Amino acid sequence: MFKAIVSAETLSSALDSVSVLVEECKIHLEEDGLRIRAVDPANVGMVDLSLDADAFESYEADGGLIGVDLSRLEDIAGMAESGQLVQLELDEETRKLHAQIEGLEYTLALIDPDSIRQEPDIPDLDLPARVVLEGKDVNRAVTAADMVSDHIALGVDEAEEYFYVDAEGDTDDVHLELTADDLIDLEVGSAHSLFSLDYLKDMNKAIPADAEVAADLGEEFPIKMYFGFAEGQGQVTYMLAPRIQSD
Amino acid sequence: MGNAALRDIASIESIPFDELEGSVVAVDAHNWLYRYLTTTVKWTNSSTYTTPDGTEVANLVGMVQGLPKFFEHDIVPVMVFDGGPSDLKTDEIESRREQRESYEEQLEVAREEGDQVAIAQLESYTQRLTPTIQETSRELLRFLDVPVVEAPAEGEAQAANIVRNGDADYVGSEDYDALLFGSPRTLRQLTSKGDPELMDLQATLDDHDLTLEQLIDVAIMIGTDFNHGVDGVGPKTALSLVHEHGDLWSALEARGDHVEYGDRVRQLFRDPNVTDDYEFTTDLDPDVAAARDYVCEEWAVDADEVARGFERIEESLVQSGLDRWT
Repeated sequence: MFKAIVSAETLSSALDSVSVLVEECKIHLEEDGLRIRAVDPANVGMVDLSLDADAFESYEADGGLIGVDLSRLEDIAGMAESGQLVQLELDEETRKLHAQIEGLEYTLALIDPDSIRQEPDIPDLDLPARVVLEGKDVNRAVTAADMVSDHIALGVDEAEEYFYVDAEGDTDDVHLELTADDLIDLEVGSAHSLFSLDYLKDMNKAIPADAEVAADLGEEFPIKMYFGFAEGQGQVTYMLAPRIQSD
Repeated sequence: MGNAALRDIASIESIPFDELEGSVVAVDAHNWLYRYLTTTVKWTNSSTYTTPDGTEVANLVGMVQGLPKFFEHDIVPVMVFDGGPSDLKTDEIESRREQRESYEEQLEVAREEGDQVAIAQLESYTQRLTPTIQETSRELLRFLDVPVVEAPAEGEAQAANIVRNGDADYVGSEDYDALLFGSPRTLRQLTSKGDPELMDLQATLDDHDLTLEQLIDVAIMIGTDFNHGVDGVGPKTALSLVHEHGDLWSALEARGDHVEYGDRVRQLFRDPNVTDDYEFTTDLDPDVAAARDYVCEEWAVDADEVARGFERIEESLVQSGLDRWT
């Protein structure tokens, strides 16, 4: 059983943060909210999302599991105007999801969850450095790096106590330093890892400019980025595997 | 390429690539290469892989298409080539050519004598792989640091031996005969889109309450690469005959049938010509730039034709996967 009413904006934010990595996903309809975990086919980027029941206008579920084509569901959410509500109801018999926006009714065929890529195990990471910054600073760093390169180095200078972003292109370089004063918070630790900008750009798209993003980093370790949406009632954790640094 | 009727009795299930990550696969190189070679020749304009002096190296195009799949899934392929000279030095080409000519002569003799077993064996050695293809395939693998093992005879039998010795996790072959060579675990469809199939020897034997020797006898009755089966005997009949009579000879006797060279074929599977004298490391350090130069400069292959394949290999080398931390 699943029946919920949610603002189109909240629904879109949740779906968008998953669809940057995968086209289809499983959605767990837990009693206390939705949960999605997915990894891209190359096993490089992972998303772990939860949307609390409190983020909904109304929410009833009893632990079911559905499989969805994300772009179809995003299209439905996109039909709503700002501030409109989307009513969702699962038809257990036909395994279809009914969506209603004002007078508009849409019936979405679901995907057999067994046919969707298995949900990944969450990597066991003990990352020594933490950088807390605003979404718009993530955007600034990624956009600047993308102008010169296809990868980006993120790290923490332990001696000088600042977070840095490095991108080296064939001809041009980008360098950005943010001290504790520029950041919301900085926990200094040994950190330097390279990441693919293709992935970071996609993840960046889903990060709201005003969100507080906590990024955990290590030495040639994955980055773990955590942020909230829907007034903190939705939580997203991204994990991205590093590029291998040539010696 | 083996008898597809064996599929009916083999224990086969689909296995996702995720579960193969980090594994070592002893690939029947001839079998693998041949698939890419035929696809390339069929779908690619021959001018893209023909050198100015008219030598065709479609194998290089095909291999650059096929190899990324291993790298992307973090699988180490060990390419096991059918019997022949083992040294990769260019001054060995001549001896390899001589070897090939000698095989061809032997093949002619075998045809005159009607020796079906020898014909089948020799045909597989001489099939389509020109000395240039033999040499350039090995050389490309060398640049990419992909291990190569030279089998004394059938590559497939040697690959099975490597897995039995615990030096690789799977045999990679489309050929159902891999079971008969005692390959414990065989991956099929490594050259196709989608997930591979895992063919499990012990499960196959358990399913039908057979020993490997009996499975070989069943196969000989339905036919293998090296012999024609008994007319009118399919997998079901062969199974019940072996169950009832215990082995090939008693089963044939009971039916009043005969399999020509049955004894030799049986010997070939039971005691194949393989060696434990091989060596390889699985920590690969490919030189993609050198491989690209070799293919595009030295052998004048159209760079566009292989660009995507080399990019995929490069990408797999610079990007780690999250599973490393789970």
